[in-house]
Amino acid sequence: MKLLTEELRAEIGRELVYTAPEELGAASIRYFALAVGSTRPEYAGPDPIAPPTLICETNQYAGRTPDADGYAGHGWDLDVPGTRLVRGGNRYEFHQPARASDVLTVTWRLSGMDERVTGAGQAMLVVTSTATYRNQHGDLLAVNTETLLYVAVAA
Amino acid sequence: MMAFTRDWALTPSTLVAYAGATWDWHRLHHDAAYAAGRGLPAPIVDGQMFGALLAELVLGWAGPGAVLRSLHLRFAAPVYAGETVRCTGQVTAVNLDVVSVDLRVEVPADGRIAVRPAGAEVGLASADRLARLRLLTSTGEILG
Repeated sequence: MKLLTEELRAEIGRELVYTAPEELGAASIRYFALAVGSTRPEYAGPDPIAPPTLICETNQYAGRTPDADGYAGHGWDLDVPGTRLVRGGNRYEFHQPARASDVLTVTWRLSGMDERVTGAGQAMLVVTSTATYRNQHGDLLAVNTETLLYVAVAA
Repeated sequence: MMAFTRDWALTPSTLVAYAGATWDWHRLHHDAAYAAGRGLPAPIVDGQMFGALLAELVLGWAGPGAVLRSLHLRFAAPVYAGETVRCTGQVTAVNLDVVSVDLRVEVPADGRIAVRPAGAEVGLASADRLARLRLLTSTGEILG
């Protein structure tokens, strides 16, 4: 089963840039910290820093309309027939903590696609993307390398 | 061995709070009927949440002033609403003020490994703690 078509291969190198419509905000930071069970004092108060993975996990900057499943985050909207999409993993580099007053600009790049076989013998398309997070001053905050897997399902 | 651990009970309320906090309202993470329609026993924990839990684990262990430099994780099996996960870290190396740790997430109830391999690098602010870790490294105790 060939998953990596020429049409999909042409998507490699594509970029999308999102700029948040507002600051990250102290309330958003405290809310996230509460949701993951953190009581660290630097995530509260009038000018908190954000937990390191917050900016890589939030969809606040994307400004996308929720789809039929309720998802409102970045996506490439790839059509890979006969597969189901699962998360593979993430690799984060943290350069500088985001602050409540930061306005995020996030650049997503579709950096690669590879066709492989799962341990169970299913064909899968491995899609690798890189997201670079900066604030309104151009400071590099984080880099997120994300792997998504389009795994073939039985016909 | 220099290992540290923390459990998180991932209740339906926890998943809803995380979905709200990340602006991710995908029904897979909060809608039981939607999950059942896809043959799942309950809504699935958003895999990215484990990154946040592992960051909290490492920073909680590393102490005040510590800075997370990097984190990587691979998802191995789904975790469902209502389950408790155990996050574990183990120190593998100390280089100047940066400590490397191996990480994993498992479901103690059935031994399922949810996240592995995973790891992080964290900069420590405590000179005393770094000195103790270096001593353990030099005696081979960290690697067991």
